[in-house]
Amino acid sequence: MPPDPAPALHLTGIGRRFGALHAVRDVTLTVAAGERRAVLGPNGAGKTTLFNLVCGDIPPTEGRIAFFGADITHLPPHRRTRLGIGRTYQTSLLFNGLSVLDNLYLAVRGGRPGRFSVRRPGRGDPDLARARALAERMRLAHVAERPVADLSHGQRRQLEVGMALACDPKVLMLDEPAAGLSPGDRPELLALLKGLPRSLTLVLVEHDMDVALPASDVVTVMKDGAIAVEAPPDRIGSDPVVQAIYLGGGH
Amino acid sequence: MSARLSLLALALLVLAPALLGLVLPPNQAQFWTANILGRALVYGIVALSLTFLATYGGFVSLAQMTLAGIAGYALAILVEGAVPGIVGGLPYAAAVPAALLAATLAGLLVGAIAVRTRDIYLLMITLALAMGVARFAESNIDWFNGYEGIRNVVGPVLFGVPFRDPHLFYYVALAAAAALYAGVLYLVRTPFGLVLQGIRDNPRRVAALGYDVSLHRIAAFGVAGFIAGCGGVLTTIYNIGISPGSIGLGASVNILIISVIGGLGHPAGAFVGSLIFAVFDTFAASLYDRDRFNTLIGLVFLGIVLASPDGIVGLARRLGGLRRPSRAGEQPAPRPAETG
Repeated sequence: MPPDPAPALHLTGIGRRFGALHAVRDVTLTVAAGERRAVLGPNGAGKTTLFNLVCGDIPPTEGRIAFFGADITHLPPHRRTRLGIGRTYQTSLLFNGLSVLDNLYLAVRGGRPGRFSVRRPGRGDPDLARARALAERMRLAHVAERPVADLSHGQRRQLEVGMALACDPKVLMLDEPAAGLSPGDRPELLALLKGLPRSLTLVLVEHDMDVALPASDVVTVMKDGAIAVEAPPDRIGSDPVVQAIYLGGGH
Repeated sequence: MSARLSLLALALLVLAPALLGLVLPPNQAQFWTANILGRALVYGIVALSLTFLATYGGFVSLAQMTLAGIAGYALAILVEGAVPGIVGGLPYAAAVPAALLAATLAGLLVGAIAVRTRDIYLLMITLALAMGVARFAESNIDWFNGYEGIRNVVGPVLFGVPFRDPHLFYYVALAAAAALYAGVLYLVRTPFGLVLQGIRDNPRRVAALGYDVSLHRIAAFGVAGFIAGCGGVLTTIYNIGISPGSIGLGASVNILIISVIGGLGHPAGAFVGSLIFAVFDTFAASLYDRDRFNTLIGLVFLGIVLASPDGIVGLARRLGGLRRPSRAGEQPAPRPAETG
């Protein structure tokens, strides 16, 4: 498989101000196709803002974002999704009034033409079949017909990843996938992440080093809206700047 | 409400005129058929358009009676025999589709204007639009004949029977209501309807999945405009005309009251609420006092909202759930510790 010449994501001098707050400042970041990138940092470091800038939820005030060489800086979120940027949310944003299968079905349909169909899907509908397959893969087949409001927290996270995968993204953005998970659920999530094919580029914003380090090839550590360190995961633990950020300057 | 229950209700409504004829004298049976049940159906259709928007999209619009009125005015302006004749000359077969088209387009326009607003702001903007249209109709003589409105919209002659015949009117209203009710239930299971429910639960996520939220919202208001238009054509024929009073503040709020009494959780609520409203509206005068009708309906409204925020249909559902605890047990094992 020849690697794509253009990087999956290329951020040039990206910045975002909220009034006087400079939440993200001058971030330049390149994520190669197929790479696993973790973005770490303490609370308020600008990780989630950076994440939302890439997904298009908020527009940047400075800089450019390129996706496989194409400028997407000013595209609305749904257009970015159609190009191939899938995402999960820190707090699960699911459709509580619909069943697990309907959630997945909507996610599958989102990436396809004919989104406006007013024809009810038949038994052999390929999108519906794909939604069922995803439910199977995310180990949710036994609860497929239940309303999402009935799911446990761990199941909601699984569904969240399933929905992000439904439209065959080229880049999958994961916003704190381990947030709120019990320690017992973490190996399950890690196995799920490691099982994803290498044709998929993964960017995960994470608080939890136990999930972030084993799942990534390169780790970016942010502080005060800017990039502090970029290093492979095995060097992150011993990096003096990272230690200073996480343990405080006095150590 | 299950399909079985819906069919049972439909069968009951089909037989209702005959059943009423068995227990009531002929003139009273006719009155009940047209002026209680028929009226409940046609205003129920207008309320259905609001229930559709609110239940599946989470949009509470106060402009649905206005959209019905736009269909009504379009019909009255175009159709032959209306007094005064403004454009006139068109047979019902042409004027009714034109009226439905007008209401659908107006619905799309309301949806487009309100596309960025939610909750209380959506309510306010649709209220402002509704009041604007009513005031305009009231003050414009050339097109809407001002305060007096347009009279003598009697409806077509079908199968040699005039539309004003109580039974014909009732069965046309019932057929329209049943078709629209079934249409709504079908539509909400299609991809379009599922996206709409997604917007209700989580508009941000819908956009993130690749759907155009604005376009779906506008389309939903267009669908609701069509439904309200069907109701508007029938209410205008029921009232033998239309005037600004039929689309004023009171009329718009009545549609909201009907929907809430019935329950904004299922399309059936629109018709249940409309029937309750029609009964109270008709008999409050003889039960109590004509001028106190609003007090009475207000108390009923308050009582229902306090006792059951999701209306009569929600109440019936909960009672049904209490009676059938065994049904829940039949469903696939309710999630023990299966997260593993």
